[in-house]
Amino acid sequence: MDRECVSALPRVCEVLAASGGSLPDDTSLEKLLDWFTELSEAGVSLLEACPCLLGFVSAVVSNDAASEPSVLSFTLKLTGLLAASEDGFKVLQDSVLDRVFDFRHWQAAGLWEDPCIRIGWIQGLRTMLQHSQALDFFVQADFTEPLLQLQTDTSLFVASAASQTLAHVLLLCQSVPSPEGRHRETIPVETDGKYSAVVAGFCDYLKKSLVPKEASQLHGSQQVLKLLAKLLTRAGPPLRDRLLLTVSDPLEELVTTNYSQLTLPLMDVILAAHSSCGGGERVARLLSVMLSARNPADLVHAAAAFLRSSHPDPDNRARSAGVLLLPLDVITGLALLGADSSADQHRSSVMEQLRRKTSCVSMICISLTNVPQVTSTAPDCLPCSPAEIVSAVLSVLRLCSGDSPSSSPGCAEVLRNVTGSGRVQKCALDALSALSSSSGVKVLLVEVFTLLIQYLNSPASDPSVIQKSYQVLVKWVDVCADLSDVTEQLREDLVQVVRKRVCDVRWEVRDSTVEFLGHLAAAPASLASDKEKARNALECLPGGRCATVPLLQEALQDPEGYVRASSVSALALTLAPSWQQGAAPPQQEAEIVTRLLEILSQDTQGFSRRAVIRFFVAWISSCSSPSSCSLLTQSIPSILSRGSADLDWEVKVHTLELAELLLDRASESRRHPYAVTPDRTSTHARAVESDPVSMLNSLVDQGVFSALLSGLVDCDRPVGLKACQLLIRLRDTVCPLLLGDQDVSDALVSGSRASCELPGCGWAREVRRILGTATAPRNVHGADGLGPEDRGEEEEEEPAVRVGVCDALRRLRLDERLAVLAQSSDHVHNSPLSLLQDILTVSRTKTHLDSQLGQEVIVDCY
Amino acid sequence: MKLYCLSGHPTLPCNVLKFKSTTIMLDCGLDTTSVLNFLPLPLVHSPRLSKLPGWVSKDGTINLEKELKECAGRVFVDSQPEFCLPERELLDLSTIDVILISNYHCMMALPYITEHTGFTGTVYATEPTLQIGRLLMEELVNFMERVPKAQSATCWKNKEIQRLLPGSLKDAVDVWTWKRCYSLQEVNSALSKVQLVGYSQKVELFGAVQVSPLSSGYSLGSSNWIIQSHHEKVSYVSGSSLLTTHPQPMDQSSLKNSDVLILTGLTQIPTANPDGMLGEFCSNLAMTIRAGGNVLVPCYSSGVIYDLLECLYQFIESANLGTTPFYFISPVANSSLEFSQIFAEWLCHNKQTKVYLPEPPFPHAELIQTNKLKHYPSIHGDFSSEFRQPCVVFTGHPSLRFGDVVHFMELWGKSSLNTIIFTEPDFSYLDALAPYQPLSMKCVYCPIDTRLNFHQVSKLLKEVQPLHVVCPEQYTQPPVSQSHRSDLMLELQPPPMPYRRCSVLNLPFRRRYERVYILPELANSLVPSEVKPGISVATVSAVLHSKDNKHTLQSVPKPPPAPSSKKRKRMIEEPPVVLAPKSLLSGAVPLEGFLATLQKHGITEVKVEETPDGHILHLQAQDTLIQLEEDGTHILCDNNEPLRTTLRDLVLRFLQKL
Repeated sequence: MDRECVSALPRVCEVLAASGGSLPDDTSLEKLLDWFTELSEAGVSLLEACPCLLGFVSAVVSNDAASEPSVLSFTLKLTGLLAASEDGFKVLQDSVLDRVFDFRHWQAAGLWEDPCIRIGWIQGLRTMLQHSQALDFFVQADFTEPLLQLQTDTSLFVASAASQTLAHVLLLCQSVPSPEGRHRETIPVETDGKYSAVVAGFCDYLKKSLVPKEASQLHGSQQVLKLLAKLLTRAGPPLRDRLLLTVSDPLEELVTTNYSQLTLPLMDVILAAHSSCGGGERVARLLSVMLSARNPADLVHAAAAFLRSSHPDPDNRARSAGVLLLPLDVITGLALLGADSSADQHRSSVMEQLRRKTSCVSMICISLTNVPQVTSTAPDCLPCSPAEIVSAVLSVLRLCSGDSPSSSPGCAEVLRNVTGSGRVQKCALDALSALSSSSGVKVLLVEVFTLLIQYLNSPASDPSVIQKSYQVLVKWVDVCADLSDVTEQLREDLVQVVRKRVCDVRWEVRDSTVEFLGHLAAAPASLASDKEKARNALECLPGGRCATVPLLQEALQDPEGYVRASSVSALALTLAPSWQQGAAPPQQEAEIVTRLLEILSQDTQGFSRRAVIRFFVAWISSCSSPSSCSLLTQSIPSILSRGSADLDWEVKVHTLELAELLLDRASESRRHPYAVTPDRTSTHARAVESDPVSMLNSLVDQGVFSALLSGLVDCDRPVGLKACQLLIRLRDTVCPLLLGDQDVSDALVSGSRASCELPGCGWAREVRRILGTATAPRNVHGADGLGPEDRGEEEEEEPAVRVGVCDALRRLRLDERLAVLAQSSDHVHNSPLSLLQDILTVSRTKTHLDSQLGQEVIVDCY
Repeated sequence: MKLYCLSGHPTLPCNVLKFKSTTIMLDCGLDTTSVLNFLPLPLVHSPRLSKLPGWVSKDGTINLEKELKECAGRVFVDSQPEFCLPERELLDLSTIDVILISNYHCMMALPYITEHTGFTGTVYATEPTLQIGRLLMEELVNFMERVPKAQSATCWKNKEIQRLLPGSLKDAVDVWTWKRCYSLQEVNSALSKVQLVGYSQKVELFGAVQVSPLSSGYSLGSSNWIIQSHHEKVSYVSGSSLLTTHPQPMDQSSLKNSDVLILTGLTQIPTANPDGMLGEFCSNLAMTIRAGGNVLVPCYSSGVIYDLLECLYQFIESANLGTTPFYFISPVANSSLEFSQIFAEWLCHNKQTKVYLPEPPFPHAELIQTNKLKHYPSIHGDFSSEFRQPCVVFTGHPSLRFGDVVHFMELWGKSSLNTIIFTEPDFSYLDALAPYQPLSMKCVYCPIDTRLNFHQVSKLLKEVQPLHVVCPEQYTQPPVSQSHRSDLMLELQPPPMPYRRCSVLNLPFRRRYERVYILPELANSLVPSEVKPGISVATVSAVLHSKDNKHTLQSVPKPPPAPSSKKRKRMIEEPPVVLAPKSLLSGAVPLEGFLATLQKHGITEVKVEETPDGHILHLQAQDTLIQLEEDGTHILCDNNEPLRTTLRDLVLRFLQKL
């Protein structure tokens, strides 16, 4: 612990004990507690390191009437923390522990009314309960009763904390850490008399409060069920069995009461019981009642919960699948369920629910949302094949668009509820997306395509529905290895609809269309014949890349920044194959690059500028050799200079990523001078690159070095950090080499030492200042032996100077900078010392103000 | 109260309401879909159209080569297009007292009704309705007269021949009543009978009923009408819209408490959301222009075009269409664009406030100023020299049978780069395109109909709760093409009364009350007596005077001074001397109280018998019966006048006298 902190702490304790009301802000005490927690977790004994804390606790507790509730609450939590270690517990037990946790005392003092005291008490206990002595203390003091009462506290925070603490106590009761060692020892609940009272008390409470007597108690029951579910999943056999024995009757009663709100928590409890004890007969019966005998709305919830729990129980999985498929069966009229399905008995009541608008939409949505769980069930448990489920989902989508009548009898009212419902459409599209990977569904590919294109084409489709339709389409394109299954007409239709949607009035639609083109370009697909080499899905569409690139180019001019950004990314994905093939850039690409550089320097939206930099990063990474990307190589200096001068920090970080890529490229070619590169003609180039000086010079020429230097002095920390790391890497790889070869290089290439020009303004002035303070200016020149030095006044624009790259790298004090940059920007402000000082300062100010009696205190908060 | 239905077209209604001795025509829409059976009228000689083969029946027995032409498997009449008029035989049109017009689309048959029929009544319409209606009529006349056709085909209308004709011609109804377009003179004469009204202005018709237009939110000056007497209210809802477009919003609350609501003019495309269609319109337009093609928008010269231009105004920049010229070609293009800017008081609030800035309410003014939108009366003249492609052309007529649009169809139809975008919902686009087949041009159907849809109308009716709803029969069942959509029909309790062309409906309510005025001096002489707290009654003797559907009670004239013996004749004519009226009794005789009173008067032996109407009291000692019934009390007592009088007085104690 910091020496300064140690010395400040006693004064802070005094201040808190005396006038806790004057705190810098209401989070100060929490920050203080967090700091103590951190220390104690780091193995520091708080009482030894800060002996003043004990005094503080007794002072506050003995003078509780005068203390602020927040300070009291803090003290309770702190006491818990101090007593969490066995040594600390012993010290406190001898002095203040009884008094601190004596809730009757707090009640008598009228302080218990304040929720922050209650929560302090609960959390203090919770923190303390780490060892058997603490548990003994808990049992002796009989804290079970108040803790149970707090379960239904008016404050939700208190109730929740009490519930967690209770669970902790019960779990601790069954496995207390033995005093000797650190290993946990399981104590049979039934036999250990010490703790049985706690368990018995809790069991009584469960019996009483599980079944709500009136509607107002529903919330209480919900809480108890949640607690029970938590305990059942974590408790070992004796406690679990005891709990199950206790709750069996109330659970049975609950299962038959049909409280819809309790369905999910009840299901959680039953599932927890079912999975933990392997399904006793009673639990199995409860589960089957939950999955068969409730009203249809609750049934689908219960079935969904069961399937989500991924129990392997085949009977119940089949039953749940039936329950979830029934609404789809009813509404579409497709016989998804076999003739003898157990879910069939609910057919009429499901129809009843579907006739009501609200229950219809929610029920269909639950069914659709859980379709992936249904299909993940073993095929022999399913009443129908995944393909039939896909058909049903397609059918629902058709019903939603109002285009087709349901083949189900008596569904006219139901149809009215789903026609045009965006919620059902989105759920169905999600389901369709998930179903794409199911087995045997590819036969429906054409149907899926037809419907999705119809959705994309429909003027009634909401932008979010269109976006989802695109996503589903990409999913189905992904899984179908063979796009030739899709008819030529459909592919043509798709191209037509995309052409229309890139001109849509709504920017969201234009954005998702452009994104879709990008995804399509990234999706691998092939035409039927294996001989034909694999191409991306985009190429399988009529017109292929040539048809979509102009659309994307047009989208670069879009008035909406998001669309421009998406079109830049989509272009990157679309053009990537041609980069990999190393094709010479056609005119079109030159136009694109010009436009992208325009966006980079002129666009007002950060998204599009970020996308441009990422575009170039992608291009460079897929570019096999510089000569195959001459257009790109030419543009690098302007990309780097524009990118690093950007106002958006993310653009700058991306620019540094580009610089990093260039560094990698440079060092790779240097490290492997004889590596086989596709471009065999550039042996000369490789020879030059294998020389560190020329590599540095080429980095300087490309503007990489300037980009790194400007990043280093950037006011945005992530930018500075990244630049600093890169510069260090450069220094560590290149400079030792150069130093090692000093003699050789001096002799051979003394005239061509790598150097870089620093202009006299902006970031370069800052870099020059650092270099200037690091070394006498004369030395800069002395070391480099370069042109005449010209030092003007700092404020005026200075003429450019040249500095040696290696020299600068050594003198920039990069390691110191890295240490500073690696800390978060608020590290000073958030340090414990700062916190302690703040508390002291505020208290001093308050004392000072208090002394000026009679004077009006005007505090301007702003 | 009767309703005569002269048109079966749900959005171009023509109904006649007989209500309290007045005969009111509600709208006179002209069904122009009949023109789809005719060949287009090209502005410039079209070799293609002139070379179409004539039609001869398969067996060669009927040869109508000159009248009928065949194109792409369909047969068209080669003659001046004709319209299907509202029914004129159902009732004598000269008996119509007034015609109420709800919007400019629903008045196109006006000259057929007011001219040459003996009509002498008044037409009521708002000012924008009149002015824009006039423009549309003038445009129609212009379109027809510009391309005169010497020949008028009539042979095909022969019933024997017509039933042998192919396709839609065979099924066309009442073809003999179809008429050629009216003349400009007839338009002027018809419109001279229009009297202007403002929203909520009350117009008295012969003292019998009051009519008042309400804003309907559909188009500039469009209105619904309230027709009411003192005790009855009929609402006439024609094309109405709840969407926020350019016109003043719809006044819904005034439709409340109607006895009958006549509902017409719902959207013709209930499945198409106007916003979605507008989006489709824009994206198809941009897609075509980007690909280097031209866009043709056949449209009316007023109405949705204002919204289209406003939407494009915002869209042009975002879609990089800044340099594309937009042309609006119509004989009335200029007037239509300018009229829209001057009817500020009839516009929605947003547009009204612009006028005070001052700015033109519609942004098409700026489009014209910046030369992005140009308008011309016709393709001849300036247009031909300034025409640049690719471009967007708005022009009429939406039926594609006459107007400048015919020229563009011939010009652009052959290239698949061009697109025709249908925005008007009145015509089937496939039928409209039939005489231009085969066509390479792309066709997009984006019907924009802002009128109420079924969802909106059922909400509206729930709100205003009329006792009875009358509507075209088409609204009582789902559309034929989507028979599964039970949401695309009216479902009401009680079910709406459907009508079709030539229906005569007895509207299901009886008039029970009539308002009668009392002159002040007569009122002064009345002596009210309170029968219940807050309710007083008085008897009145007076003379009822009825004139101009107003009824007044006047004092009975005083008997003239003593008759002179000379004028005997007069004496006979004098009214008889009026006796002072007996006071009237009211109230009920309570059984218990009456028995108690009888007992006080020594009558104790009373046997009470209950009857369906009240009670019979048998006074056994006196052998007397007293029948106490709801509307009368009888004392049956033989030859005992004192007892009868006593009993009568006892009964009267319980009753009030007036």
